[in-house]
Amino acid sequence: MATNQENRTLIVTFYFCIGLFALVCLAPFVLAVSGSLSTEARLAAEGYSFLPRGFSLDTYKFMFDSKADQIFQAYLTSVVVTMLGTACAVLVTTAYAYVITVKGFRYRNFFAFLAYFTMLFSGGTLPWYILSTKYYHLDDTLAGLFVPYLLNVFLMYLQANYFKSIPHEIIESAQIDGAGHFRIFFRIMLPLGQVGLVTISLFYALQFWNDFYLSLMLISDEKLYTIQYMMYFMMANIQYLASGNSAQIGGAVIAPPLETAKMAMTCLTVLPIAVLYPFLQRYFVRGIIVGSVKG
Amino acid sequence: MLKKRVWVSLFLATLLLITACSNGGESGETPERTTAGGNNESAGNGLKPAKLKIVLYGEESPRMKELAKAEFKDIVKKEINADIEFQFIPWTEYGGGKTDLMLSTGEDFATYTDTNYMVKSVAKGLYADLTPFMGTAAEDMIKTVDENSFKAFQLGGKQFAVPVGNKPNSGEFYSVLVRQDLLEEVGMNSVSTLAELEQFYDKVHAAHPELIGYASTDARRMLMYEYTDKNLYWQNDFLAIDESADNDQIMSWFESEEFKAYSGLMRGWYEKGIIPKYAATNTPQLQSDWNSGKAMFWAGTAARPFEGAATISQAVPGAKLTNYFLSKDLPKISRGTYSTAWFVSANAADPERYVMFFNLLQKNQELYDLFAYGILDKDYTLDENGRLTRNTTDSLIPDWLLMNKNFIRFDKSVPDDFIAQYKAWDDEAIISKGAGFNFDNTPVKNEETKINGVFSEFLAPIASGFLDYEENFPRALEKLKAAGFDAYIAEYQKQFSEWYAAK
Repeated sequence: MATNQENRTLIVTFYFCIGLFALVCLAPFVLAVSGSLSTEARLAAEGYSFLPRGFSLDTYKFMFDSKADQIFQAYLTSVVVTMLGTACAVLVTTAYAYVITVKGFRYRNFFAFLAYFTMLFSGGTLPWYILSTKYYHLDDTLAGLFVPYLLNVFLMYLQANYFKSIPHEIIESAQIDGAGHFRIFFRIMLPLGQVGLVTISLFYALQFWNDFYLSLMLISDEKLYTIQYMMYFMMANIQYLASGNSAQIGGAVIAPPLETAKMAMTCLTVLPIAVLYPFLQRYFVRGIIVGSVKG
Repeated sequence: MLKKRVWVSLFLATLLLITACSNGGESGETPERTTAGGNNESAGNGLKPAKLKIVLYGEESPRMKELAKAEFKDIVKKEINADIEFQFIPWTEYGGGKTDLMLSTGEDFATYTDTNYMVKSVAKGLYADLTPFMGTAAEDMIKTVDENSFKAFQLGGKQFAVPVGNKPNSGEFYSVLVRQDLLEEVGMNSVSTLAELEQFYDKVHAAHPELIGYASTDARRMLMYEYTDKNLYWQNDFLAIDESADNDQIMSWFESEEFKAYSGLMRGWYEKGIIPKYAATNTPQLQSDWNSGKAMFWAGTAARPFEGAATISQAVPGAKLTNYFLSKDLPKISRGTYSTAWFVSANAADPERYVMFFNLLQKNQELYDLFAYGILDKDYTLDENGRLTRNTTDSLIPDWLLMNKNFIRFDKSVPDDFIAQYKAWDDEAIISKGAGFNFDNTPVKNEETKINGVFSEFLAPIASGFLDYEENFPRALEKLKAAGFDAYIAEYQKQFSEWYAAK
């Protein structure tokens, strides 16, 4: 009985702490939503608050009037890049992981070293940029938004470790039964390495969704802007103009975007993920649990 | 069954990749579309077709997007037979970042630069030498852009960038830009001394304690007439020249008595609260405060009263801005009247055509109106006095960039006497004796990096009044010397003297 009571106290304390933490995390988002629903004049004069100052939908109206097409297009690009990128990246990563894991493949250590080497040394931005634009011609293509990230060496090693945990005897018996590498990879390794697959897919999906660097470097056609890049573009301008560097270019006064517009843009970027995440999370959790029980 | 599945999934993956690549290919369709827009027969006085890419910083407005594909494209095609493309990239990429990458990889484009970035890039051979084209391709702008502006972008007698803009900008940041509406509210008419400025702060602070005083941390120029009899002009954060003396002497700003006096004034401002306490850790907030009408004064330029009023009036509709000089009895100094300057990348196929395009921007009133304001009666209207009313808030080719006093149009809210004052702003100004000198930092690159570090860590807080001069300066000076400042100033003096003697 005493234990039950103790448990309950503990649970209540935990709930309280977690609730408090959640509130702290939620606060900036609430401020953003409230800011985007305020009027510019009152926001400028009185600052942010948890309830909108002078409730108004004008900012959203303005954003959708002037940028609706661009925002929609950017969403589409982001979704396509995330899905396509994750699918391709998982295929490439698991295939590489399989190659360096499988016993009997003569050059597997060499390939493992090749991948490992890029974790320690990289050519730097300039050679990367030249390779991407002059040789692979990835500039201004949809492929440019995911091909450079198809193999993340860290995730590849993560997956390789999952593969290594699969008993080699299973592979051997499949080989004795006449299975080739394709069959072993798709029918044995991938289903058994499911836990890893879920993890790296999640990492890749987040990476592709949040990325703006590839857009910044390789994309000039605004039809291919991702939603994160649109956001970054706006924030980068504000940061630069506020830092006083603009004095270098002749003391010009360049008006930064409106506060309310910044907040509306933030909400538009975050909202779909915030809405989708509780539903998606179920699958992620289930995927990981199923894997762990089997593993 | 299994084999089939494997092949199907592989096929799908390949298909996805191919679609992805080919989609991108389609998006690069712009060059083909251009042939429909231009009329090659009448175009550009028999010039060969050329392609130009202009990189601009900041966000592209929806109206700019439309015009860039239609009217701007057509007029450039017609005038100089070139297909023009505008690319907008974030401001953070200015003078580095992606601009550097594009230059280093030999892309064919043009964008704008300042003298510092020009010197660095020319040393690496990244800018095209535009000297051969200045006589022919830039003939109209030579008449509408000040001659001294061209000299500012020459290195070793060669023109590496073409200035754009021609606006009165002497005494940049030497005046105090005061919120005139607040000044009048507290029963004052004008400000002409430091004592009056502080009195203005005290009165407004009593009435509106929520407002901050000065929305910046650097007031060395606007306070100069108070703490010295010299007419100082800063070459960079460390070095200044005295424009009232007829010599080539470079002055070490931080080691001077003037700096000591100035930092004392700033310390007073900081302690009094004229510069808010958060300025030490959150400097960018100051400009936001200014823009949202929460500050009393700022550093002024000739154009700021009307350039800045538009931003502030969104938050404070009745805001009025006026420039005042404190105890001024010396001529204003000008660095040249340009806004900025265009450079062309070294690998550009046709640098001459780029210069022709720059020339178009400042050629005549008609073209200036088109590039700065758009299409008459659609994007803007003019009244009988030539005053402008814009029908869209979208900026086109940024107006701060093009601003040329020969062509600029004012809107109805700007009073006539302000326009007269603005146009006469440069009348008594002198051109800095250092205008056109560009320091080659190659011999003292390491020292420069180190002293810049010392500046932000030790000297800037003293200069802004956050730290006391007496207590902190000796240590800061020690660090500055240890970073190799003596070698730096010696090199600077050597190059400046050589240049000055040759001039």
